[in-house]
Amino acid sequence: MAFISATCPDSSFFLEYKDENGLLRKSCMAASHRVVGDTGLSDSGPSSSTHHVPYATVLHGINAPSTSFLHQEGSTFDFGELEEAITRQVRNDEAQAPLFTGRPAATLEMFPSWPMRYHQTPRVGSSKSAGGESTDSGSQMNTTTLASKGDQTQLEPESPMSKIASSSNHHHQQHQALDQNHLQFQQQNQQLQKDMPISDTSRATTVATGATEASKGQSAPKSNHEKRKGAGSTSENKQLDAKTLRRLAQNREAARKSRLRKKAYVQQLESSRIKLTQLEQDLQRARAQGLLMGGCGGGFGNISSAAAIFDMEYARWLEDDHRHMSELRTGLQAHLSDNDLRIVVDGYISHYDEIFQLKGVAAKSDVFHLITGMWASQAERCFLWMGGFRPSDLIKMLTQQLDPITEQQVMGICSLQHSSQQAEEALTQGLDQLHQSLIDTIAGGPVVDGMQQMAVALGKLSNLEGFVRQADNLRQQTLHQLRRILTVRQAARCFLVIGEYYGRLRALSSLWASRPRESMMSDDNSCQTTTDLQMVQPSQNHFPSF
Amino acid sequence: MQYQTEHYQAESWGYYMPMRSMHMADPLERVGRLVSKSAVVIFSVSSCCMCHALKRLFCGMGVNPTVYELDQDPRGKEIERALMRLLGSSSAVPVVFVGGKLIGAMDRVMASHINGSLVPLLKEAGALWL
Repeated sequence: MAFISATCPDSSFFLEYKDENGLLRKSCMAASHRVVGDTGLSDSGPSSSTHHVPYATVLHGINAPSTSFLHQEGSTFDFGELEEAITRQVRNDEAQAPLFTGRPAATLEMFPSWPMRYHQTPRVGSSKSAGGESTDSGSQMNTTTLASKGDQTQLEPESPMSKIASSSNHHHQQHQALDQNHLQFQQQNQQLQKDMPISDTSRATTVATGATEASKGQSAPKSNHEKRKGAGSTSENKQLDAKTLRRLAQNREAARKSRLRKKAYVQQLESSRIKLTQLEQDLQRARAQGLLMGGCGGGFGNISSAAAIFDMEYARWLEDDHRHMSELRTGLQAHLSDNDLRIVVDGYISHYDEIFQLKGVAAKSDVFHLITGMWASQAERCFLWMGGFRPSDLIKMLTQQLDPITEQQVMGICSLQHSSQQAEEALTQGLDQLHQSLIDTIAGGPVVDGMQQMAVALGKLSNLEGFVRQADNLRQQTLHQLRRILTVRQAARCFLVIGEYYGRLRALSSLWASRPRESMMSDDNSCQTTTDLQMVQPSQNHFPSF
Repeated sequence: MQYQTEHYQAESWGYYMPMRSMHMADPLERVGRLVSKSAVVIFSVSSCCMCHALKRLFCGMGVNPTVYELDQDPRGKEIERALMRLLGSSSAVPVVFVGGKLIGAMDRVMASHINGSLVPLLKEAGALWL
């Protein structure tokens, strides 16, 4: 059993070692960790902070090959404090799985899960303190007697604490002798079990009293002896004691860790739940104001991810639109040169190109979201044509706003309006035919053909995307043509008008959504009250006793 | 609007072409032949709604296009494939030829109409008289 390596973070460190079975093990030494390890292998550290400093010197030794560690004195090590800290920790844990019965009334309940045979649980604590003392004293004697070493090692099979005691003792000793120690311990174990077949309880009482009152040194080894005897006499298979103990300790450790993990998880769930309710409240509020989803009411939960993404991008586009508008406004007011204004106007055109491109992407995954206008404000949605504005309407609106304007420009605008109207008409008729064909597919045919019918209908529905795309294409071309017909200054004014128009439509929508509705409610209430009165009277008659 | 079916007759190619090779004529050549026959030629599929929209567009302008319904043509599939290659897109129809020249699919037709280039082309081809 040799130390393999050790690392030393600030207040905890891991020691890797190979146990007697040759398995690489790790033991963590920190205030919050119990010691897991085998006889003479696990390392202990002071759990109380007061020992951090002195222990640091010890830890430094650990970074080097283990041999240096062995030369450290154990006198800096106070097992008493260590015991107390671990006791506190054990008590703080939730009740362990009752793997083992028999929790005798204990002066110091160190290990409630200790099995029946270890009646000396209370004694363990007391003996621990004694053991601690003994190891302290023992450490002074260590180099002299192997017997005392054996005594200390005897503590280990009975409790992790004793392991701590003995293991640190081990550290203080020559580690090359660790193997020998282990063998010795086993020998002594068997020896003691053979020699002293005394009942546990009697031993317990004697040892307990002895341990608490006895002076250091002498009584401790004896109590250790007796503890060992008690352990030996009750266990069937002495060879397995060490392994069982180790296993038990590991089980406890694992149970503790899983409890902590469960606690953390539950806390996480609680916080997420709170966050969720808060989010829901926020959404309710936003929905009531008709801002976010345009008051889609019951359909809110069914919004697809593509639609949600598009809504977000549209919201961002609206912010950009606002920025572009103010640029245009300031550009016009500041009487920028034509070149500079051209840059601003072209920027606005590409801004619109961007939204058409976004709509094209969204149409691929959720055409219904676009065509029903759930992304737009309510007023816009009311006058929606094929998932957006109607180009001819826009031009009609603009012709009144655009002056001065040349004859040629007037003709250009007129023909633009004319051609956009024709194109709109053509697309509308195409969509009508799609609608009719869909009706025929869904309505007609026997029910038996259900799936076939649906497949055909699905195929027809997929044409919707094409229509929305063509409509957007029409809008885009209209804006580009406007830009071509008009001068830079006219175009700037024109786009400003367009932007303001839709901004006003959106403002109208939000005003409408947030308008007070008491007038409506009072009418309802008056109707209600009359009926209520009629209702109340009969009920009062029915229940005269009331 | 005139709906025409292909007449399988010997063409005046300058040399004798057996009936069989007529059937194996390059579909693109067929297309070329067809579009040169009329001022405005639309290749369409009878069940396609976008094709219907395109037809309505030309009719609304007062144009009388020649429509070839590829689903009603025995060799329509070949023409469809050839048109797909020509357009470089996955859908062959609807597609418009004016004066023997390719205008394009629906989006190009609409763009050219909006920017005012379609009507002069139609007038040039003799499809529109103002």
